[in-house]
Amino acid sequence: MSKLVMLLFGIAIINGSLLAQNSLTLKGSVFDENNQPVVGASVYLHPLKKGVVTNTEGDFVIDKLSKGQYEIEISFVGYQSFVDTFLLMENRILNVNLEYSAISLQEVIITDNYAEIRKSETSLNIEIVNDDYIKQNLGGSLMNSLERLPGVSTIDIGSGQSKPVIRGLGFNRVVVVENEIKHEAQQWGADHGLEIDQYNVNSVEVIKGPASLMYGSDAIGGVINMKNRKLPTVNSFGGTVDLSAKTNNDLIGTSISLYGRKNWFYADFRATILDYGDYKVPTDSVDIYSYRAPLYNNHLRNTAGKEQNFHLSFGFLQNGFQSKFYVSSVNSKSGFFANAHGLEPRNVDTDLHDKSSRDINYPYQKVNHFKLINTTQYQWEKSKLEFDLGFQRNFRQEWSQYVSHGYMPPVFPDTLDFDADLEREFEKYIYSGNIKFTNHLIDKTQIVFGMNSEYQDNRIDGRGFIIPAYKQFTMGGFAFARFTFSEKSGIQLGLRYDFGNIETSEYYDWFPSPVDENGNISEEYLQRAEHIDRNFSNFTWSLGYKYSPEHWSINANVGKSFRMPIAKELAANGVNYHRFSYEVGDPDLSPEISYQLDAGVEYQSKKFAIGATPFVNYFSNYIYLNPTSEHDRLYGNGNQVFYYTESEVLRYGGEIHAHYELLKNVQLGVIGEYVYSEQLSGEKKGFTLPFSPPASAIFNVKYQKRKLEFVENVYFSFDYRITASQNNIVPPEEPTKGYQVVNLGLGGDISLGKQNINISMQVKNLLNTKYFNHTSYYRLINIPEPGRNFVFNISVPF
Amino acid sequence: MILFVLFSCEKEKDIDTEKPNIDITFSEAFPQNCDTLYFGEAFELKAIFTDNMELGSYSISVHHNFDQHSHSTEVKACNLDDKKEPVNPFVFIEEYKIPEGLNEYNPGLRISVPANNGNGSFDEGDYHFMIKLTDKVGWSALTGISLKMKYR
Repeated sequence: MSKLVMLLFGIAIINGSLLAQNSLTLKGSVFDENNQPVVGASVYLHPLKKGVVTNTEGDFVIDKLSKGQYEIEISFVGYQSFVDTFLLMENRILNVNLEYSAISLQEVIITDNYAEIRKSETSLNIEIVNDDYIKQNLGGSLMNSLERLPGVSTIDIGSGQSKPVIRGLGFNRVVVVENEIKHEAQQWGADHGLEIDQYNVNSVEVIKGPASLMYGSDAIGGVINMKNRKLPTVNSFGGTVDLSAKTNNDLIGTSISLYGRKNWFYADFRATILDYGDYKVPTDSVDIYSYRAPLYNNHLRNTAGKEQNFHLSFGFLQNGFQSKFYVSSVNSKSGFFANAHGLEPRNVDTDLHDKSSRDINYPYQKVNHFKLINTTQYQWEKSKLEFDLGFQRNFRQEWSQYVSHGYMPPVFPDTLDFDADLEREFEKYIYSGNIKFTNHLIDKTQIVFGMNSEYQDNRIDGRGFIIPAYKQFTMGGFAFARFTFSEKSGIQLGLRYDFGNIETSEYYDWFPSPVDENGNISEEYLQRAEHIDRNFSNFTWSLGYKYSPEHWSINANVGKSFRMPIAKELAANGVNYHRFSYEVGDPDLSPEISYQLDAGVEYQSKKFAIGATPFVNYFSNYIYLNPTSEHDRLYGNGNQVFYYTESEVLRYGGEIHAHYELLKNVQLGVIGEYVYSEQLSGEKKGFTLPFSPPASAIFNVKYQKRKLEFVENVYFSFDYRITASQNNIVPPEEPTKGYQVVNLGLGGDISLGKQNINISMQVKNLLNTKYFNHTSYYRLINIPEPGRNFVFNISVPF
Repeated sequence: MILFVLFSCEKEKDIDTEKPNIDITFSEAFPQNCDTLYFGEAFELKAIFTDNMELGSYSISVHHNFDQHSHSTEVKACNLDDKKEPVNPFVFIEEYKIPEGLNEYNPGLRISVPANNGNGSFDEGDYHFMIKLTDKVGWSALTGISLKMKYR
């Protein structure tokens, strides 16, 4: 450790001496209309990409500047941004009064620079989007709306459930953070979708690549970080009504928000209601393994669903002190494709199922996710202290008609304490706490210390068994430092230590099965899971470098990440009802370790930009569900057995993006992504990993204009998506053919008298192309992706 | 862009990417869709299993279809009895290994169907008979047929 400290000092000293020639200082103060200091306003200097935040007196200092022309931008939530250009020849003092913003919540807050600042200060590869982007790309779920981002894909089941996948890694390898607290649910589950209300999201940051350093064990593949960065303007009261509709699954939905702020106190309430029918696919029948199931009117039987979400946030904002509370309840009920859920493909009662495309029959899932979060921070001139506390409860049930598995009784006995039709139930209580301290010790050096901890209590119920009840505790501490050599370059370095304990409960069947011992057959209640108590610990690190000479930006990051095995990997022992397989855990698995080298190169000029973000990633033991030649003989219909195993894995790939301003209002763009994975050892040596996304590219033309006739902020976008075939497969996958899809987007703001209305429209799959998505769970049973879909969203602020 | 194209051209690898196959369409195959099995008697499973490289194992399972929840993988539909509640349905789930190194195999397996169990006689009626086959690597195939099971 002492060597490290020496190294840090050494770097700091060299760093100071290099910068002596830049000696000018820009000082200033930021006040509001009443000459009260504005604390925490962002002061940003172009083209240096250098930013500071005002202190408790509203003062700021930017020093070590060289002579030249600069553009300054000062912005703060609820105020109009101040922008000015000046020539700096000597030390200068600049005092600014910000005006309250007349426009409400919708338009103020996310300054366009946020993404730039955030990107400039990290050597990781990140993508940042705001709620306008989500509205313009509104999909069936938050992840569907983000899928267009390079390096981001989804694993879907149905039209409303999708799981995040970053560069081909998903499930428990991606961490989702909402309001600083890690979102914990049943991520391990095949049919689980992210319980996030996309109408309530106003800023999403996607970290591509391992970020275990800041986010702990599961962030081995990346992070989806959602922040509520919007705050209502001082002394304001208002709201918005969003109305959404989709033609493919006849979705109708609304989301209403109300907000208000009185000086230091604000509150914000939102309710979202969505209701959708079965979605339509461009085919008359699907082949579920060897079974053919005809579809009625192209409807994918029983995939209707509904969602009801409520959010309340309120907080206190004082000089240097902020405390925010978030309470939310996200509820959904959604059907599973009725022909393909259970032990085998099923014949369904078509009279019942095809009677209405909006009803939800068996099999379906019901999910409730409750959250209570507090984030509190104190800010001093050079330091910041942040606390986050979270409580979450995730409750998920799968319901289906009772079908005896293996030797379950043919008729459900009435002596049990759960419903015959309750297939599975998972209940999870999560308690989280984080603490983080940030300090600008020396001018060019930022140091961050932090700790994250979490305790989970998981319970199970229902007739079918897959994972046992378990309790899990994790705790990690990290130190992170960032040194800026000059405006153009800097390094960052971090270390982390994690400890975790997982304790699973034993589980016995509720029905006896025949056991053959030397020819003597006896009836026994089989043990499906034994008691496991394991501790894990790990040391991870990360080192990054960023260099941004004029027009260019170059970054590289190398790091080690780890992931604790989850309860399912250690102790699964049951049927996967979506692919009719039998999944078995291994209690002796070690924590997954990964090493990754990430880089980014970007060139940007006024009209043209091009960039690439390649990566190489090596896992010494990737934990993976390996299909074997065995069949189970005691629980299902003789289902094929998949065992959790470890293998060495090499992955590489990257994303590219480029855009060019062809005409004043017309921009051409291209985004591409590619991932290659190969198992280097084990039984599947030479094979890829499951759900490997194929290479794909989006060619885009976008027309944007500030004002066109009576419409403001007009945009029209044309996306041509071309996806390569995926022939790199692992059992039980099928090769998936390449495809081309056209999507259109159109929208803008219209003023009706004093009322402003925001409209966004999309046509997805314009040509009603029949194609398969390799990373959809429904791909395995040959269900094509949704057909043509018109999506409308109208947003009315008041 | 060049990088992208370069990455997209993948080399061919020497791994098994083919599924095994179950053939029960030849005339001597047994049982076939809509056949009848009798309680208290034995029958011989005749099918041809093939794989491009090496076969793994197979599983036979029989369960009732009194609620008509199952359908067969065969084109021909069989006449089903009326739906009914099960009382003591016959259940059979067994896994069988295939000798190592084979890429074609006819199980020629004799399966004895018991006449009753501890709860008495089995329910007569419609059953579903499934053959599941894997190869060494873990690719799989399945065939499901409809059968009648009766007492002679």
